Amino acid sequence: MTEHETAAGAAPAAVRAVGIAKSFTGVHALRGVDFELGAGELHGLVGENGAGKSTLAKIISGACSADEGTLWAGDAQLSTGNPREHAAAGIAMVYQEPKLVAGLPAADNVFLGKMPRRGPFIARRAATQRLRQIAEEVGIEIDPMAIAGDLTLAKQRMLDVIRALDSGAEILIMDEPSAALGPVERDSLYRTIELLRERKVTILYISHDLEEVVRLSDRITVMRDGSLVATKLTQEWTPRALVEAMLGRDFVVPTRHKSEGRAGRDEEVLRVEGLSVPGALESVDLSIRAGEVLGIAGLVGSGRSTLLRALAGAEPKASGQLLLDGKEVPWPKTVQRAQRYGIGFSPEDRRRYGLVLGLTGAMNVALTNLHAVSVASFVEWRRLFRYAAQLVRPLAFDPARLKTTAAFLSGGNQQKLVVGRALGVQPKILLLDEATAGIDVGAKAEMFAIIDRLAAEGLSILFASSELEEVVEISDRILVLGRGRSLGTLEGEDCTVRDILEVVFGVEQETDAA
Amino acid sequence: MTERPWTLAGTARSVRASGIELVRTYGIVLGLVVLVAAVASQNSVFVSHNNLLNISSQYAPAAVMAAGLTFVLISGGIDLSIGANFNLCAVVAAAIGQHHDPGLAFLAAMALGTGIGILNALIVTITGIDSFIATLGVSFVLTSISQILTGNQAYYVEREDFLSLGAGSWHTIPYAGMVMVGTFLLFGLVLARGAYGQKIYAVGGNREASRLGGLRVQVLYGSTFVLVGFCCGLAGILNGSQLGTAQYNIDPRILFEVVTMVVLGRTSLLGGYGAMWKTVVGWAFIAAIGNSFNILSVNSNYQSLVKGLVLIGALAIDVYVRRLARSGST
Repeated sequence: MTEHETAAGAAPAAVRAVGIAKSFTGVHALRGVDFELGAGELHGLVGENGAGKSTLAKIISGACSADEGTLWAGDAQLSTGNPREHAAAGIAMVYQEPKLVAGLPAADNVFLGKMPRRGPFIARRAATQRLRQIAEEVGIEIDPMAIAGDLTLAKQRMLDVIRALDSGAEILIMDEPSAALGPVERDSLYRTIELLRERKVTILYISHDLEEVVRLSDRITVMRDGSLVATKLTQEWTPRALVEAMLGRDFVVPTRHKSEGRAGRDEEVLRVEGLSVPGALESVDLSIRAGEVLGIAGLVGSGRSTLLRALAGAEPKASGQLLLDGKEVPWPKTVQRAQRYGIGFSPEDRRRYGLVLGLTGAMNVALTNLHAVSVASFVEWRRLFRYAAQLVRPLAFDPARLKTTAAFLSGGNQQKLVVGRALGVQPKILLLDEATAGIDVGAKAEMFAIIDRLAAEGLSILFASSELEEVVEISDRILVLGRGRSLGTLEGEDCTVRDILEVVFGVEQETDAA
Repeated sequence: MTERPWTLAGTARSVRASGIELVRTYGIVLGLVVLVAAVASQNSVFVSHNNLLNISSQYAPAAVMAAGLTFVLISGGIDLSIGANFNLCAVVAAAIGQHHDPGLAFLAAMALGTGIGILNALIVTITGIDSFIATLGVSFVLTSISQILTGNQAYYVEREDFLSLGAGSWHTIPYAGMVMVGTFLLFGLVLARGAYGQKIYAVGGNREASRLGGLRVQVLYGSTFVLVGFCCGLAGILNGSQLGTAQYNIDPRILFEVVTMVVLGRTSLLGGYGAMWKTVVGWAFIAAIGNSFNILSVNSNYQSLVKGLVLIGALAIDVYVRRLARSGST
């Protein structure tokens, strides 16, 4: 009954969903979605957080049942919420957070429950050979005997891919496969995807990274509020049209955030000389002026996060010289001391390192500063909310939501709680690690505006991110890290992602040659 | 009184005001009401003034330890040395109380309990040994010390003033009961409203995030072991004073009874969740079961069997209900 059903005449549908609806305790996650995945295509699925992408993916993979609607794989109707039946139909899912037995080798994870056997014994050599063979076919480098928990996130995800191929899956659902990967890892992911496509594997590709989706996909579907907005051939979409379809409103694509007011202040607020953290950082220097945004760029494993953690007092083994306003002070070995220095820290991975999910938003914001909202060691609830509201209101966080348990807030709002808490120490220097990871386009633009305003008020900000585009967009200067060393600082308005990558690869090639 | 949705339980309620949450939160209260009604219908002595006061006195030592253990569990640890600590404190109180001023005996025992708590705290924070194993080891050591001190004999204290704390009362209200109520109130207030209590929730809920947020997580985590150690000292002198005697094996079951009280209230063994009032309900449950065996003259050999089944049953129901809640959401 919809257009794309008839339009799909060209390629037969690998998966067809008709009128899929799903609600969770009264909230409609999907409201009658008609969706079609053409055989052999790479189909991009985009939308803001909460648009229903993951729910649709889970229903197609069989991990989740639908309240209404029917699902077809080719000509066979599938019952929803039956993972075995879906797997038998050749559908497999690659999770953003791989579900692994962390203590077992890669091979055992891939063949979990179906390890090749010789009599009563496991035929380990056969298993490793089989894994190597599949991995080679799709361009994945992996040691079959490596302990799964020690593998990088990128490789952990690839275990899912290998497992899917081993079981003969022809339809892969990939949920944010590039999230939190560095450029090199991404390139190898894209190569794998290319090889998968040569094998005629159908891929449903969910991602927040629009540029990547546009580059990879044959067709793109946009979802919003549990409904399907549109499915079009990729060349029929423009970036602007995609964003507007996702947000459902006119949206000014943010271009340049560097405000005029920021430049021209030259009091040096912080200077670091010879910062080393055993096994992670080696003799890194940096300096930052008041009102400046210093971007920290580098691939995964370059030491971005360790650098910020060391400054925040979270790396007790860190050593180096630290000058605050020109005066040398001992390196902070505890978070409390760094806070006294006026260093506020918003760590990466907010759910893991940022928040206590079971506590309210207000409590999360005030955690560091409970004495400020207490009388005689007892928390005054009214002061608590006034304190938290005063910190998060400038971040465009609705103070009414401070009473909500942190676990139930959206990614963007959770991030604001973490930033709000960091601002609570009255910092002169704010460290933001992956502050825009996994939040939707609107929230991202908001976060950029906030950073811009804080810098204009004179705050010095260190902004570390695996998204090079974002680093380029927001930073006044960029410190490029590689393998724990400083590779150089890029200055000037016209610095591009390409410039960063040239620094990264130029130096790496030299060291490789040496 | 205004509504307080910003307490932990309150927030969960305001977000998912579903019947399932209500069952999870108050199911144990309902179970307690049913139990009390059932026993009282068999023998009304059960709910008499005298019997209730008797319960409050008899189960005061366990209650005091449960109040302290609640903090340990919420911070993400467990203390398996509380039984042995309690016992050693009772022994030391009785040993000193035989010949010296009871005030000195009580102070020494409470200092000892607290000291053992400090020892536990140092072991778990400095060595990083899991608290389950560390306190299990300490428990063996303490039991052995009790045996060595007593030579497997019992100390008897006959001084009236030593017995007054455990056996005495004020207008029929036993001192031990007052100590228990006071402990529950004070600890409950500190946990729910105190800055310290909120930090304990944070440390148990997400230790790394708490550390990066600037909390002294090791100090906070360790402090809960000191707190429960103090409680063991207090419980030890209550018990010693109640019985007027102490040997190395006063009540071998008390450790698991206390753990059961806290866990029955659904305070999580994984940390981050729980509340003092829930421990109070868990305490009442265990106390009521124990007392009803006396009231109804049932063979007391069945007592542990019933408590065990109640514990498994309550937690099984909780898991089942939570699964219902899950299938309804994510």
